[in-house]
Order: sequence, then C-alpha cells, then structure tokens
Amino acid sequence: MKDDKLISKKDVLERMGISYGQLYRWKRKGLIPEAWFIRRSTFTGQETFFPEDKIIGRIEQIKEMKGDHPLDDLADVITQQVDAKLRVAFDRLKSLKWLDESVLETCRIDRVEDRPLTIQETLCLAVLSRLRRSARSEELDLVQKTLRERLDAGLLDRVTDENLQLYLLRKRLSGSGISAEISMVIVAPAKIVVDPEIEQVEVVDLAHLLERIKLDLAKETDIGSPEEASPRDTEEER
Amino acid sequence: MNDEKRSASLAGSGKLSGGDYTRVSISGAGKVSGDLKAEALKISGAGKVEGKTEALQIAVSGSGAFAGDVVSDEMRVSGAARIDGVAKVKELKCSGSYRVKDGISAEYVKISGVLRVGGDVEADLFKASGGFEIEGLLSADKLEIRPGGRCYAREIGGERIDVRRGGHRERGILLDGLVRMFSGRGTAELKANVIEGDEIHLEDTTAEVVRGKRIEIGPGCRISAVEYSERLDVHPDAEVKDQKKV
Repeated sequence: MKDDKLISKKDVLERMGISYGQLYRWKRKGLIPEAWFIRRSTFTGQETFFPEDKIIGRIEQIKEMKGDHPLDDLADVITQQVDAKLRVAFDRLKSLKWLDESVLETCRIDRVEDRPLTIQETLCLAVLSRLRRSARSEELDLVQKTLRERLDAGLLDRVTDENLQLYLLRKRLSGSGISAEISMVIVAPAKIVVDPEIEQVEVVDLAHLLERIKLDLAKETDIGSPEEASPRDTEEER
Repeated sequence: MNDEKRSASLAGSGKLSGGDYTRVSISGAGKVSGDLKAEALKISGAGKVEGKTEALQIAVSGSGAFAGDVVSDEMRVSGAARIDGVAKVKELKCSGSYRVKDGISAEYVKISGVLRVGGDVEADLFKASGGFEIEGLLSADKLEIRPGGRCYAREIGGERIDVRRGGHRERGILLDGLVRMFSGRGTAELKANVIEGDEIHLEDTTAEVVRGKRIEIGPGCRISAVEYSERLDVHPDAEVKDQKKV
C-alpha cells in the first residue's frame, strides 16, 4: 500500500476546470473534508495539496450531481451530520445492488419490507456483501459484531476523516500435530503492518464504501423534486 | 409540569433556569443556567448563558457571554459578545466587539466593530469595516474588507475578494476609538499568509502569497509572491517581490 499521491490546489483547479470560489464554497458546504486539505510550505510560500485520487473523484461526483441537486442538499447527503437521519429503504438498496439477500441473516436485520435502514446498517450490509465470497460464516458474524457495535458507538463519524479500512486476517498456528486457525477483524486507518505469517483475507475500504453508498443514494433520491419525493424523504429534511 | 412556553424578563440581578422560552430579556445582570432555547433573546445589561443558546433572534447591546455554542437566524451585537464555542448564525451584524473561541458559520457577516475568532469564519458574504483577528481560514463567496483597524486572517479564500482603504471614514468617532482601543495601534491594514480567489483587489495588504485568476494589487500592498492565471495589475505604490503567471 503506497502513499496517496498528492496534487496541488492550483493543479486541481486547472485540471478540473473549476474556480477558487467553487472549491472554497464546496469546502464550506462540507463537500470536501477538512482532512483532505494538506498544507505544506513550498518555495513559493504556503500551498495546499490534496490526495489526488480522492479529490479528483470527489470533484467529478460533485460536478456530475450538482445539476440535479441544490448544493446544500448534496452536502446533506455527503456530510456526516445527517448520517443518522439518512434512511434507506430495502427495495432501493436492492436496486442499487448494495443488498445481498444472503447476508441479511448474518446481519440480523429484521426483514420488514417498509422499515427504512439506517446508514449504519447499510454500511454493515455493504461490507458483508463484499466479504461474502472470501469469508467464512463465523467470520462474517465476527465482522458484523465488530461493525454494529462500533458504528453505534460513533465509528461512522471517523470513517471518512480517518480513512478507515476493515481488515479480515487469519493466522494459522501449528505445533505437535495440531493446527488451529484464528480469524481477526481489525478496523484501522490505512497502511497497517502485520506480521508476515498473517494472511490478509480481505481489506475493505470503509471510507470509500461509505462514500459510494451515499453518492449512489443521492443519485437515486430525488431530494430536489417534490413530485417524486415520498413523504418520508421530505420528513427527513426537517 | 408545564409544557407551555414562557417568556422571562430579568431586570436587576437574577438567575433563570434554562429551557424553552418565547422571549427572554436581560436588562440587569442576569444569568441563565443550562441550555437556553428561545424565540428571541435580548441582553441589554450583562447577561450570561451557561449552556448552549438557540434563539431565532439575539440582540446584545450590553455585554453577552455565551459559554456554549450559539445557533441563531439573526444576531445583532452593538455591545460586546463572547462565545466560548461555535457561532452558527445566519445573519450576523456587529458594531461592537465579537469574540468567538471556535468559529463562525454564517450566511452573512457584517462587522463594523472588532471581531476575534480562534478558528475559521465561513460565510456567503463577509463585510468588514472594522478590525478582525481570525486564527484560521476566512472564506466567503464575496469578501468586502475596508480595514478600519488591524485585520488579520491566517488564510483568506473565496470567489471575489475586495480590500479597499476607507473603513474608518464610514465610522463615527466613537466607534473609531473603540476599534483603535481593541486593535492596538491606529494602523488600518490587512495581513494574511495566503489569499486565494478568482477576482482579487487588494489595498493596504501585506501577504506572503496571493493566488488567483484576475488580480489587482493596489496602493499600500506588500506581497512576497503573486501567482495569477489571467491578469495582474500592480500599482506603482505597491511592492510585489515575485510574480508568476501559471
């Protein structure tokens, strides 16, 4: 895992064809996380840099979506304050392919058709869907337990800021003819170092996943047009 | 239990317990213990809220101290206000002194007195004709600054940044004195490390770096480096060490 490549602010503006005004406005609206602004002293004075892939991806998304949604609504979807309020209906999730029927059971989410899901539950489901092929069922359960417990305790707010990843690890221990394998679930910022005997079964980029979920939902949710918005949607904007 | 919202008025010296009110008026020395929610809060004496304050309208003409965050649609200060938290105010007008520990998030800010902020100031429109000291980023779509005292922000960023001489001429003598008193010397100038915007006009400004599309460096400026993409004009009474078209 290598370092994020950095790009200077003026290169971002030039490459994406946006203005200082737009960049600062998006920052104010919470569309670009504070953590991405990396201030460095250069020979031309203080300059701001960004992780290249993240900022370019984010600006593309903003540009693509801002025609359909007012900036403040867009911010509502991307910023974290509303995470708790964001509800997702099962059928919508399914249409977005975030929902994998087989993981529902593991996730212990009551299958009530109309009950909206919280963003925590959605993230949990998405992670499990990602892991479904490579992880064993008891490992899925372990992941589920870890996530649900920590998400309730405020992990969600840290996901984007700290660029959290979920690691599923296995280690085989053998001696005197017996061997055992233990599984571990770790949630930590990128670039952890583990001993060479540990097998990394899967790494899930939680920050990226959360972003994808929110952006996909934002595209699906017609926040801007009242005729399409269900009563639930309007209620949540309150 | 009475769920009916009340209005309260403190005159003389008194204490009010926090809660949900319609109108709260403090005209003597009053204290609100706990969080305060009100439609309108008026402080014309010395008032203190010991928790978080949420009020549609806040008017401070005496001295107001807020121990927690302040959330309001409209806040007017002609005396002195101190906030030990974040100020989330849609419309902020201050002709007195305004001190915020953490930051200001607003749509419209108009300062003709003195502003001191420990963090960032964010607004759609920021107008200042007094003095200010902002430890973090001052960012707005449009910034109009007429330094009437010492103005400082670590960074300034936005679409249009307009800094011109003449703030002190718009103020009366009294206010001018107040600004001078708070801002130290009588110098009226802006200092910043970095200024970035699309349209920038500067006068009486000292900065390390100015970056933008169309930049005018007016009289009284001392800039170490200017980076521009479309146009740069430098007044003969300005000093620009380094300029680069990017």
